[in-house]
Amino acid sequence: MERPAEPLGGPHRQEHHNVPEHTDARTAGLRRLSFQAGIWRRRAVIVSLRVARLVRTGIRRFLPALRYIIRAVQTRWRRSLQFRTVLTTLLLAITSFAVVGAYLSNQIANNLFQERLTQAESETRYNVKQVQDTFDGAQVTDQSSVITLVYDTLNAVEGRGSVIQRRYVFEAMPEQTKPRNRWVESRASDQLTVSVIPPELRKAVQESGKDQYWASTVIPVGTEDRPGIAVGNKVTFNGTVYELYLIYDLNTAQQTLNEIQSVLWAGGAVLVLMIGAIAWYVTRNVVSPVSHAAMVSEKLAAGQLQERMVVRGEDEVARLGASFNHMAASLQEQITQLATLSQMQQRFVSDVSHELRTPLTTVRMAAEVLYDARDDFDPINKRSAELLYNQVERFQSLLSDLLEISRFDAGVAMLDAEPEDILQVVAHVIEGAAPVAAEYGSQIILSAPAGAVVAEMDARRIDRILRNLILNAVEHGEGRPVTVTVAASQTAVGIAVRDHGIGMTPAEAARVFDRFWRADPARARTTGGSGLGLSIAMEDTKLHNGWLQAWGKRGSGANFRLTLPLRQGEEIDKSPVQLEPEDITIPGGTDNRNMLVLEAGTPLAPASASKETP
Amino acid sequence: MKARILVVDDDEALAEMIGIVLRNDGFEPVFCADGAKALDIFRSSRPDLVLLDLMLPGVDGIEVCRQVRAESDVPIVMLTAKSDTSDVVRGLESGADDYVPKPFKPAELVARVRARLRPGDQKAPETLKIADITIDVAGHTVSRGGERISLTPLEFDLLVALARKPWQVFTRELLLEQVWGYRHAADTRLVNVHVQRLRSKIEQDPEAPEVVLTVRGVGYKAGA
Repeated sequence: MERPAEPLGGPHRQEHHNVPEHTDARTAGLRRLSFQAGIWRRRAVIVSLRVARLVRTGIRRFLPALRYIIRAVQTRWRRSLQFRTVLTTLLLAITSFAVVGAYLSNQIANNLFQERLTQAESETRYNVKQVQDTFDGAQVTDQSSVITLVYDTLNAVEGRGSVIQRRYVFEAMPEQTKPRNRWVESRASDQLTVSVIPPELRKAVQESGKDQYWASTVIPVGTEDRPGIAVGNKVTFNGTVYELYLIYDLNTAQQTLNEIQSVLWAGGAVLVLMIGAIAWYVTRNVVSPVSHAAMVSEKLAAGQLQERMVVRGEDEVARLGASFNHMAASLQEQITQLATLSQMQQRFVSDVSHELRTPLTTVRMAAEVLYDARDDFDPINKRSAELLYNQVERFQSLLSDLLEISRFDAGVAMLDAEPEDILQVVAHVIEGAAPVAAEYGSQIILSAPAGAVVAEMDARRIDRILRNLILNAVEHGEGRPVTVTVAASQTAVGIAVRDHGIGMTPAEAARVFDRFWRADPARARTTGGSGLGLSIAMEDTKLHNGWLQAWGKRGSGANFRLTLPLRQGEEIDKSPVQLEPEDITIPGGTDNRNMLVLEAGTPLAPASASKETP
Repeated sequence: MKARILVVDDDEALAEMIGIVLRNDGFEPVFCADGAKALDIFRSSRPDLVLLDLMLPGVDGIEVCRQVRAESDVPIVMLTAKSDTSDVVRGLESGADDYVPKPFKPAELVARVRARLRPGDQKAPETLKIADITIDVAGHTVSRGGERISLTPLEFDLLVALARKPWQVFTRELLLEQVWGYRHAADTRLVNVHVQRLRSKIEQDPEAPEVVLTVRGVGYKAGA
């Protein structure tokens, strides 16, 4: 084939193209590379950079929203078994699909590649032989013919038709003496230069004899870079050894792989969603009876005793429902029984009350008539009349206290609370206790704020509590003054009743509200009282949601503190008066107690007016 | 003239004892042990005051109270063995003026009886007005726009006490002292129940009273 000679090293078509560096592919060398690795790595870098930037700006801008979402998820995670199960299932499913998907896609990629490689190797072997045969049989000597022959032969390698089956790079081996008639230095398909051939491949081809080698590479086609396989061997022409590389486009394989991958991922996503839905449905089936049970038990706890679970089928959930219902039924039965018992007790108390009180009234009236006429009797009858009168009195107070306490026990005591001025009640009780105090020779000192302290209370009960506390203090005060301190805060009112009698130990103070409890059994009989007074006071206080506390110290007297909320239904957090008296820290014997008493009289509350009741 | 007192109580011992005490203090007791006969005996004996046990066989005290109140304004004092709020309030609402809880002292009973018989000692001609209500103290009548309103003596006393000092806020304790004659503290529910009953008779809308006003946390006062 004669061809007009072209100047050696003439302008190469491919020089006009800026061929990118394909470092990734080259460093991989002869080792078989996953052909998309470089692209994926670059994509990964870009994506990770973007994510990093997004996270940086996002953290600043969306931090509150992010925190909210995290907290919401955490709350759901903690509180919803279903949410937790579905989320866990989804995460596990995604992880396993990612692993399986990656493995599958890798396998498919490998198979596709291997197939293409085998094809490429056999095609190369055939084509190199064709080229060599053509070169060997060539009878051309002039420059243009040689060039034409080489170019035509190489062009034939690209294949017929509009689709290029393979591309080539034809390059004279370096470091060989240049023969006289060597007019062709290098030639390559459109857009290609020798730089697309990995150096390792070139080195392998150059150093071997007539063996064929291959490597992965990236080739520019049009405006895009495509994965490809370069297979190289040597051919000889006119005494010059050339490297001939045939490059096969893997684009079709890559597209197939991409399609398979996208199908794989789409299928995986659908499967994950379906698994999530299944998990949601299954857990809902299991969890909904449980939450139904929780709801029903909450209602039961709230007192709706007739509430039951719906039982369907014979499975575990149905068994749970059945045993739950059984439990609810026995609970209901017991509660009803208790309620009946309580009602019976209440009836009984009421009946006893009536049955006892009527004859007692007659006895009492008769005793009083006799008592009034005692001066007309002889001394024996007179004393008998007095004893009868006093003991009937005592019997009556005991009975009424007993009935009162059993009314509390039966739970029928009702709070009849109305807003009233507690200072009036206190003043009234002190006034009523004055004759008794005078009898014992002690003073009652009131320290209270000016104006009114209005609290929601059952005045009858508060009157009873205070009368009990004050009379107790007078009785145990050994003739020393009794101090009543009233102070109010925004939410509560405190009343402290302090005596300076023999006092009591902390252990005694702890038991003082027990029924029929007496600090000194030998002594107590003389002071009378049913032994129920403080227990009733405690019950009355509890009815008001208040506090009643006792403090005592041997030889330092006692202090009783009543604290009531100003409005019913509110909690007391702190009493406005102190339980442990301030005067107690001053050491001293019996002699300077009177001085301490005066200090106790100083008001604890700001803006207070003292009032003395003789 | 001795005041006649009807004692309705099924417990004969107690009734007898009450009789002794009342006779001792110059009253004339009449007895009835059966709730069903109480009204007949009330009609035939025409007592000045009724002492009524709440728990009676047959017709109970509350029913008797209602029957008596339906045809007479005579003072009714209940004898109660129960001091439970509901029973006392029910008795008061059925028309009783006062109550004495068992067991009571003879003096207590006599004081209650005397307090209820007391009205009628201040009969000076006097006309009082609260809101649109006119009170003729001497004539013992109350009217609105010429129309007479029927009140029991106790309700009348309560209204007069408030009307005489329209500027004053009466605490429940003060009313107990002035109207019921208690010298020591007693059950303030008496006041609450009777104010309610009074309102139901004299107020045009008992839910929004104009004649007897509540002063929250203190007590009651007459309306302007």
